[in-house]
Amino acid sequence: MIDFGAVGQSFDLLFSNFGPWLVVVPGIVLGLIFGATPGLQISMAMAIFLPMTMYMDFIQAMLFLTAIFTGGSFGAGIPAILMNIPGTSSAIATAFDGYPMARKGQHNQALGVALASSVIGALMGYVVLFFMIQPLSYMVLRLGPAEMFVVILWGMTLIASLKGEQVLKGLIAGFVGLLVGTIGFSEIGLARGTMGQTYLLDGVPVIPAMMGMFAASELFKLANKGFIVESADARKVKVSEIFEGCRMAMRYPVVMIRGGLIGVLVGAVPGVGSSVSNLLSYIETKRRDRDPDSFGKGNPKGVVASEAANSSSEGGSMATLLALGIPGGGATAVMLAAFAMHNITGGPQFIRQQTDVVYAIIFANFAQVFLLVIIGLLFIPLLANIVKVPMRYLIPSVLVLAVMGSFGLTGNMTGPATVLVFAVIGWIFRHYGYSVPAAVIGMLLGSLAEKSLLHSYQISGGDITYVFERPVTLAIFALLLISLFSQPVMKRLKARQEAAQL
Amino acid sequence: MSECKRDYGDFIVLMGLAGFTLWYLLDAIRVSATPQNLLLILPLAVIVLAIIALELILRIKHGSLFRSSEEEPLHKTLPVVGLFAAYVMSLEAIGFDIATVAFLALFLILKGERNWLLVGGYSVVFGLSVAFFFSQMLPYPMTLLLLPS
Repeated sequence: MIDFGAVGQSFDLLFSNFGPWLVVVPGIVLGLIFGATPGLQISMAMAIFLPMTMYMDFIQAMLFLTAIFTGGSFGAGIPAILMNIPGTSSAIATAFDGYPMARKGQHNQALGVALASSVIGALMGYVVLFFMIQPLSYMVLRLGPAEMFVVILWGMTLIASLKGEQVLKGLIAGFVGLLVGTIGFSEIGLARGTMGQTYLLDGVPVIPAMMGMFAASELFKLANKGFIVESADARKVKVSEIFEGCRMAMRYPVVMIRGGLIGVLVGAVPGVGSSVSNLLSYIETKRRDRDPDSFGKGNPKGVVASEAANSSSEGGSMATLLALGIPGGGATAVMLAAFAMHNITGGPQFIRQQTDVVYAIIFANFAQVFLLVIIGLLFIPLLANIVKVPMRYLIPSVLVLAVMGSFGLTGNMTGPATVLVFAVIGWIFRHYGYSVPAAVIGMLLGSLAEKSLLHSYQISGGDITYVFERPVTLAIFALLLISLFSQPVMKRLKARQEAAQL
Repeated sequence: MSECKRDYGDFIVLMGLAGFTLWYLLDAIRVSATPQNLLLILPLAVIVLAIIALELILRIKHGSLFRSSEEEPLHKTLPVVGLFAAYVMSLEAIGFDIATVAFLALFLILKGERNWLLVGGYSVVFGLSVAFFFSQMLPYPMTLLLLPS
């Protein structure tokens, strides 16, 4: 399974000259800045700097882009913890417990937990990639559209039922989100729900909508507060506490390993990736914990689960990109463009013929992970100062960045207008207890869900018994039902037991 | 907030979501009633409407149809939402640079900043820097009044 000759050649490629390493540190710093700035995306950073890779050789180009990816994966967790604004959708679950930790004055520890989990998660992702690249790509190939559809539904159900006491509202928000995600042209070329507006033909711009629902709506809610952390003592940035956070993360090895494995597996599924893996890992950790009610209130295990999973997803998505030539998301789509710029086509042929290059990319990423520790520790104190800024300065500044970033994504006023509309919707949703993450994930996955269902319909010829010939689909569907009904049933049983004891 | 105070907002949001779902379903049917077009939308819309109906039934059963939210009242945040809406709508009309500076200054004043040097200094420096950064970084033309485009 491991070609040791290619391993030796990969070391030659990486260490025969210093060239490939020159781009790694700038790449990580760029990733950290773009990931940590609400409104700017990792894929945006990679796209903006993609033309520069024209002047690099292929290995150097891949090192530069993966360094941005690695830095950005951790960077996205910083605003999630400090402002409850996930820099990207991969850090949604980081905010669930990271932000409550910050509100309790434990922002330094939360950042430390996130850094350690990101580093170990990314390392795990690439270790698994090194050993499993061939079997993993085979597994991904076995997932047909029917399995993809039930995976999406399962993910949606899990996300929607996160808020234990308001499951129905969570489901409504998630499923309405799925419907919104299908607005615009469908796979068969029919435009639905556009109200005659041409800018909706490609669907609702999901990233500006996400910025509105997550960032702007939360900022509206905080508009009448003085500081993110009200206590002056709690606003101090201490490197010692960040280290304490790193040590805190090490206390939960099982959560970390589970998150890392979920991240690799889900990250390898095209189109799902880190956006779902962080949530699945979080939900699984919460479900298995002895005290699930402590989640969402500042439990560090929630941050570990999310960050380990979203960072290890990078390894998973790289497996799909390298082995199949399929990008799992925006960031790997930019890498695919870099492949094309260097006349390289990803796929089994690429793995067989250029194994040394594949291994060189993997080994370089091991080194990047360690560099992230150093650069991350240097940058966190700078970025953590955000909690010292009064809200009356922070809120309009972040809103401005979100508006500008959304303009950058669409190139016209559709972006800022979408941010505004979804900010108001998100604000109302938050006020009345509808799950904002469920609605956003629904929007992200709506068109993929419809495409998967349509492909299953076309393959089966409309015969429903096709599903019964797909054991994996049935198994995932069973998991969906269990996760939907286990919580209320368990609660009822617990209440009955308590009543009996009285 | 008083327990007996009625809040119709939650009910209106629920009805709004039901209305959107129904409208979207009818629009999809109007475009094409083929199974390929309605494969996901029809069952999903029916499920959403069923869950909304169940939520309403449960609330009526528990006598909490018009229950009030424990969150801060919406009207307290309305000026901020209004200011943000005005900012977004004015971007093209008065330029990203001027609109951003004006939004920052008005927000600071609205939230009680009375140090006029800080209000002016921060909004001009931060607003113009951000507008300049994005106008230089993005490959699209941005409407600017003061800064070079």
